[in-house]
Amino acid sequence: MLLRNPFTKALFDTRRSLFGWTVAIVAVGAMYASFWPTMQTPEMTEALAAYPEGLLEAFNYSDLTSAAGYLGGAVYGLLVPLLVTVFAIAAGTRAIAGDEEAGTLDLLLAHPVGRARLALHRYAALLLGLVLISGLLALVMIALSGPAEFDGVGAGELAAISLQLALFGATFGALAFAIGGATGSRAAALGGAAAVAVLAYLANSVLPQVDGLAWAQNLSPFHWYLTGDPLVNGLQTTGPLLLLATTTLLVAAGTHLFTRRDLAV
Amino acid sequence: MTESAISTENLVKTYGRNRGLTGLDLRVEPGEVFGFLGPNGSGKSTTIRILLDLIRPTSGRVRVLGADPRTDGVRLRRRIGYLAGDFVVDGRQTGRDLLTYLGNLRGGVPRNRIDELAQRLGLDLDRRIKGLSKGNRQKIGVVQAFMHSPELLVLDEPTSGLDPFLQQEFVAMVREAKAAGQTVFMSSHVMSEVQQTADRVGIIREGRLITVERVEELRERAVRQVEIVFEEPVGTEEFASLPNISDVTVAGHTLRCRLDGRADALVKAASRHTVLSLRAEEPDLEELFFGYYSETGQEAHHAVA
Repeated sequence: MLLRNPFTKALFDTRRSLFGWTVAIVAVGAMYASFWPTMQTPEMTEALAAYPEGLLEAFNYSDLTSAAGYLGGAVYGLLVPLLVTVFAIAAGTRAIAGDEEAGTLDLLLAHPVGRARLALHRYAALLLGLVLISGLLALVMIALSGPAEFDGVGAGELAAISLQLALFGATFGALAFAIGGATGSRAAALGGAAAVAVLAYLANSVLPQVDGLAWAQNLSPFHWYLTGDPLVNGLQTTGPLLLLATTTLLVAAGTHLFTRRDLAV
Repeated sequence: MTESAISTENLVKTYGRNRGLTGLDLRVEPGEVFGFLGPNGSGKSTTIRILLDLIRPTSGRVRVLGADPRTDGVRLRRRIGYLAGDFVVDGRQTGRDLLTYLGNLRGGVPRNRIDELAQRLGLDLDRRIKGLSKGNRQKIGVVQAFMHSPELLVLDEPTSGLDPFLQQEFVAMVREAKAAGQTVFMSSHVMSEVQQTADRVGIIREGRLITVERVEELRERAVRQVEIVFEEPVGTEEFASLPNISDVTVAGHTLRCRLDGRADALVKAASRHTVLSLRAEEPDLEELFFGYYSETGQEAHHAVA
């Protein structure tokens, strides 16, 4: 029964929206992936060659001559992580600050539920949503890899990048969750996490083209997510570990601060 | 001596520069119905939120059912039922879903207990909450507060939004809770909401408890108009000198007067005659309460000046 505890209740409450997000993200991924065969025509190659290299890099389209390069750019490099980020930030905001501002957290916390337990259950529901989205995306991409001619990109690589995608989403979800847990402000959680996401994107895609700012890339969760080219080399260690560590730290800090402060009226 | 159901000592809560509570000393004894009265912004909700560990006191001591809400909150809240005046929940669920979930957080409440309470209040559990009127939403709040028969009910302006019939039903539920040995702590800004059920009434003003009265004593002290019709004409002087009696007028067989306090002397004097009818209007405790209230308020202002 889905009304058993805060974790299952959070899943129950978001069932429709989670279904919508999953369908949308998987559909966008599958659509772009199925364009791959058409990208290999000489006309397309010419058309893309006309774009300035910096612009293409800004959109993570650095290599469009291989399936791995195309998938890493068009599918896993831009739209899908963007949608996953929006999903994660929205869910992370809702987990504490959204409910708190709506005034619905009072009633729950007047029940025999610890704050840490409530917060962690809700974050766990967010994580499960991310696993569901990236897992289904991986399955659909693996199913498409034959018909859409992903020569050289195997199931292992697709599974690896999907796992890294889930960790990447978890990091931004954790950031929104932590700001919400610390402040109780929906605007701060949403705005703060969105601002960091934009900066992180720029730090990975645009700043490396500026002399003297390339170091910023190393601080970007986008970089941690894509570095080492998991679509070519499979599951990475450094990037995913950085994502995992940041997520853990943010969730722990957000939960801790949430248990220590007054609940907003 | 048994431990108080609620006790606070010099409880202070400051919000930035605003002062929510300025040294609240409160004792609520087990098994009593305690009315917690004060105007909006006087600190009633602040107190209640501290009892539930939704907010933390700046200083002072608080114990609820022998436990510290801060360190033992989860176990403590298992024994408490809480109802807020503005009962806000996510409207996309049905009443039954919400109540089942809240019951599960408490370790499970039998379905027939929820049904029984819903039926009693005339609440449709299978409709989405956002489609319900404010009164019906508040009924869900009443059900969730009472459904697990908690040792302590904490009710923050509980009957706002309930129609008169439901207010009566609510009064009956509070009385039943008291009869079952449950303690009830009920805040309100109107006397009439608590005078039917409360054993004692505490008045809070500017974050401090300024007086605690037994409702019975308040009633005893109240001024009421009394009208007695005798079989034969009576004299004014016979009643005018009685204690607690003033404004005596006699028109033929009918005596009218103001009774301020105990009725004993008046009744004994009247009993020397044949009494045809006796009418004493129900005192307006509200008036008495706020009379006292503004008096002490003025004293406080004088003290400052």
